[in-house]
Amino acid sequence: MSAAPYWPFLVYTAMVFILVAGMVIVSSLLGTRHRQRVTGEAYESGMPPTGSARLRLSIKFFLIAILFVIFDLELVFIFAWAISIHELGWPGFWGMLVFVFILAAALVYEWRMGSLDWTERAIERRLGERREAMAKRWKEAEEA
Amino acid sequence: MTPSDLQALLPHIVVAATAVAVMLVISFYRNQTVSAVLTVAGLFAAAACLPFVWSAEADAVPPLFRVDPFGCFHIGLLLTASVAVTVFSHSYLEKYRMERGEFYILLLLSVLGALVLTVADHFISFFLGLELLSVSLYVMVAYIFTKKRAVEAGVKYLFLAAATSAFLLFGMALIYAELGTMAFPEIAAELGGGDGLRSPYLLAGTVLVVAGAGFKLSVVPFHMWTPDIYQGAPAPVTAFLATVSKACVVVVLLRFLAAFDSDAVPGLYLALTVVACASMLTGNLLALLQDNIKRILAYSSIAHFGYLLVAFVAGGPAGAMAATFYLVTYFAATLVAFGVVAYLSPSDREADTVADYRGLFWSRPGPAALLSLALFSLVGLPLTGGFMGKFFLVGAGAEARLWTLLLVLAVSSAISIYYYLRVVVAMYSSIEDTPQTRELSEPFAATPPYGNTVGAVQALLALGLLVLGLYPQPVLAMIQSVTRTF
Repeated sequence: MSAAPYWPFLVYTAMVFILVAGMVIVSSLLGTRHRQRVTGEAYESGMPPTGSARLRLSIKFFLIAILFVIFDLELVFIFAWAISIHELGWPGFWGMLVFVFILAAALVYEWRMGSLDWTERAIERRLGERREAMAKRWKEAEEA
Repeated sequence: MTPSDLQALLPHIVVAATAVAVMLVISFYRNQTVSAVLTVAGLFAAAACLPFVWSAEADAVPPLFRVDPFGCFHIGLLLTASVAVTVFSHSYLEKYRMERGEFYILLLLSVLGALVLTVADHFISFFLGLELLSVSLYVMVAYIFTKKRAVEAGVKYLFLAAATSAFLLFGMALIYAELGTMAFPEIAAELGGGDGLRSPYLLAGTVLVVAGAGFKLSVVPFHMWTPDIYQGAPAPVTAFLATVSKACVVVVLLRFLAAFDSDAVPGLYLALTVVACASMLTGNLLALLQDNIKRILAYSSIAHFGYLLVAFVAGGPAGAMAATFYLVTYFAATLVAFGVVAYLSPSDREADTVADYRGLFWSRPGPAALLSLALFSLVGLPLTGGFMGKFFLVGAGAEARLWTLLLVLAVSSAISIYYYLRVVVAMYSSIEDTPQTRELSEPFAATPPYGNTVGAVQALLALGLLVLGLYPQPVLAMIQSVTRTF
């Protein structure tokens, strides 16, 4: 068994270590360490920053961002199908139809869970509905 | 995808469709019982498809899947266990004021992952099935998010499963780099003609894949996560973790290791032997130190998968038969044990300390009798399924002349009697001693009487345990016919 075909693997492993160590060491060597009055301030095109950097974003933004990421990723699969549509033929079409149906079912679920509600009033209303429904179920369960 | 391919994958399709159906039903009508009944119906429908699948050709749906009788048998086993877990979950979640329908979607998805693993014949389906199983399990472990321990266990499981996936993927990549194929039969063909694990890539890849599977089976030295996660997870989820999520990995590992001839790769079998001995001894010795019944069962499951590895090392049809029969008996006993824990747990904590079970027989004879039967089977006492399971393991080991393994098996089984019987003794001891012990058994006063579905399912499982111990021939004949190909 010759070791010849394995040297690229060893070089690769060595490079991983060198790269990671290098990133830590070089940046600690070259990095400046001065600490003055405005060093820690955000630099925004020369404008003095106003207010705190700790903004309170509504959880809605997070939710919408996550939903976007999920559906955006699903799009990747649809693209992969679209470029090979001729090779896949009808079986591919039916497969994609099932896939899109499952996506649609997930969207229905999100809609009904209130993930797509935007205004405060709509969210309050839906939460209220769910709270009431849950309380009703518990009451029934306790009576039973 | 031809119609016959679809026919072969019918159970998987039914389970997947049930998950979507449960999700749609929850969107419009929330009711835990409706979700649970729909889940059970879906699982039964999937099981009802099995006769059609069984008649399908042995090599159905290449290259990703291999739907053979061996896979079908395990699909049936996993579906049965999942029905039991669903029933336990229903009564367990009744105690919590939270949205509970989503639990069944997650359960169905992880069952789907497990079913994919049982017929996986390719690294791609192996990995996809494992991820589907694990990702749903993270959430199921942390489902009761008001409990700190459950969330802690969920996060631990997340990290662990992510690390496992990394191991597996890297191992698969190395094997692919060397052999240029990811299909198990082709790997077997490549290895068959050569001189075993001829290159460092192949050796490292195989070790990494086996290590990844070892994490899922929680064999020593990959067992550290088991007690914490078993303790923190809700009891029905623990039952699922201990049975379904392990059995499917056993199946895929049996298929994968069938490619490795024990004469060609002695190193791999030596490693498996060491892991088996370490698991049997560590699991049984550490269980002696535990006061928490869920942790005891966690260590006991580490030991049980050590026993099971004896069958792996033995190999051949006898080994596969012993492993499968052992899985069946282990399933029944573990499900009964965790089912009793789930049933007795009040809503504010898990009924999991040995002190909780003191005098249980005098206040609740039903659960106490079932739990003792399950523990007797886990010890391997005669008349229970566990005895027959161990008997066949020892038979397979003796046929392959694995005397060291059998010696360790005998010694560690003897050790295990102590901690199982400790729980049993606690259950039958008198409770009139002190006011303190009376207070301990008080939480059980709130649990409903034992005449419900949970009781029926547990009684059926316990009956199965007795049947496996007294009259194993029908099951045995079936297992022998499905493991002939190994």
